[in-house]
Amino acid sequence: MYNLILRDLYLALYSSANFFYTSSFFILILVLLPFIFGTSIDQLQLLFKGILWIGLSLSIILTMERIFNTDYEDGSLDIILQKNSSLEIIVISKYISHWVVYCLPLFIILPLLSLLFYLNTSDVFAIFLNLLLGSFGMIFIATFVSALTLAAKRTIFLKAIIMIPLFVPFVIFGSGDNSWLILLALSMLSFVVSIYVSTYGLRLYGES
Amino acid sequence: MKELRIEDLNCYRGSHLVLKRLNFSINSGETLLVRGDNGSGKTTLLRALSNYIRSYEGNIYFDELKTKEDHKYKNKFTFIGQKNSLKDNLSVKKNLKLWEFLYNRKISPIEILSEFNLSQLIDDDVSSLSDGQRKCISIQKLRFSESMLWFLDEPFVFLDEKNSKILMKKIENFNKKNGIVIVTTNIDLGLKFQKEINLNV
Amino acid sequence: MYFRVTKNHINAIKAANPYLILSTVTAFVIGLYYALIQSPPDYIQGDSMRIMYIHVPSAWFALMCYTILAGSSVLWFITRNPTFNLVARSIAQIGMMFTVLSLVTGSIWGKPTWGVWWVWDARLTSMLLLFFLYLAYIFLWQAIANKDIASKISAALAIIGFINIPIIKFSVDWWNTLHQPPSISKLSAPSIDVSMMLPLSIMTLASLLFLITVFFIRFRIEVLDNKILRVGDEI
Repeated sequence: MYNLILRDLYLALYSSANFFYTSSFFILILVLLPFIFGTSIDQLQLLFKGILWIGLSLSIILTMERIFNTDYEDGSLDIILQKNSSLEIIVISKYISHWVVYCLPLFIILPLLSLLFYLNTSDVFAIFLNLLLGSFGMIFIATFVSALTLAAKRTIFLKAIIMIPLFVPFVIFGSGDNSWLILLALSMLSFVVSIYVSTYGLRLYGES
Repeated sequence: MKELRIEDLNCYRGSHLVLKRLNFSINSGETLLVRGDNGSGKTTLLRALSNYIRSYEGNIYFDELKTKEDHKYKNKFTFIGQKNSLKDNLSVKKNLKLWEFLYNRKISPIEILSEFNLSQLIDDDVSSLSDGQRKCISIQKLRFSESMLWFLDEPFVFLDEKNSKILMKKIENFNKKNGIVIVTTNIDLGLKFQKEINLNV
Repeated sequence: MYFRVTKNHINAIKAANPYLILSTVTAFVIGLYYALIQSPPDYIQGDSMRIMYIHVPSAWFALMCYTILAGSSVLWFITRNPTFNLVARSIAQIGMMFTVLSLVTGSIWGKPTWGVWWVWDARLTSMLLLFFLYLAYIFLWQAIANKDIASKISAALAIIGFINIPIIKFSVDWWNTLHQPPSISKLSAPSIDVSMMLPLSIMTLASLLFLITVFFIRFRIEVLDNKILRVGDEI
């Protein structure tokens, strides 16, 4: 398990600047905000939270093919399946490594971003908590969609169409206030579904 | 003496039957050459032997154990498919590092590359390598696990004469150490192995 | 042994086809006569509310088709009977069509009623998402070349979608209470007068007959396409 996580982290590190890609992507999406809506503080604060969720969804959708699909296409998944003792371990390792590589950078720069949009500490904490719990659930969803659609090559838009309706509850509760318990419940539910469906997808892999 | 034996193997791809009532056995120290046209089921056979395909009918035995049920079978074979398991945008050295994690085994890159005289490529990006060079590196995945069985899917494709001889030598040495090898090919290579089957009907 | 579609079933479906079409057309003619001519106009909305007679059955059947889709996917997982798989695939396109129909009629109805083509209310929004669930199911099936794998994966997706529907409904309702559109006065669920019940029932029956007719046509095509009759049962 550690080896697989380490391998994915090294892969991200080697593919230089993957950490920076996601954070830059986020910052740039947020930079668009004042250009579109002007610099009125109230309006920016209102939009900031929404754009964060759109940014998170987009970055997960854009990178979801790196969970299983790229390893599938170059044949590395053969080795991963052979050398790990159970499919569940593979799936859980992928959750961890993918979250660390593509979501963690966002949480590191979030405090900085909130300075740009004049948010106070308690607001930032609430947003942070919601986003954190939501990001877990969304990674679980992206993982099982990736595992399930191994046989459908190069169909990122189709995968997005599959994923976005599943993201809807996260986005709704995530942008609400005092809804972190519901987000936690949603994430736990998607974990259960995800483990089951991802291993099912990997089991089908051999025959695809 | 260990034996890999296939009894009445039927295997479907989608809804059509590609392997039909296949029977053969190989003993330690032997190499089997599987011949057949494109789509005759060579890769399917190797993937069934490697447990990637599990929905076949019939039985595969290794050392008198059903491979589908033997939990330790995972560590007894190495499968080298037609995909190279190489990341195009990374250097050879970094790719080998990733393999170290995947196989959980450390081997120095020079040792791996020198066998096919590729040591000078260590810092090159995989995308700048020729198909033959990638294939040679891919074949070196054999170094990462100590297994009794090698399943090589079209290993001679893209290889030049010199490298084919190195690979042949490798297979012969492995046979001498009682290893079992299954090699597939779709063209007549003029190579001699102990056993041969043809999947064309 | 499980139930298998045989040549006899397919021939029976083929033979029943003209009768089904005839009864669908008859039911629609009677239903539309009652809906458009016989029944009185609504005293608030006037004639525009007559579109309800199409809208309401389509919305019901859009949901019912997804239930059948998910149900037959579950049954397929349990029994591995390919017939269920074909049922699921035949019903998906019909369900998508009903969803589109209910969205389009809903928005045409909305224009004279609310003054806009679209309102972000919970029901319409959930319906829109349902459309994308159908779309994903159908496209995923087409995107995978190995149809054996494709049927397993799309069945799994149908079930996941079915789990997702109540969650979407719950969260969209919650969202709707937060962001109630202020300028639009929402209509409370209208109590249906008896004079409207009759045409609505007939139109529902007509839509159901239409569903069955199209389903059998699609089912027959799917059976012939996928050659599941191959076990000693040539056509």
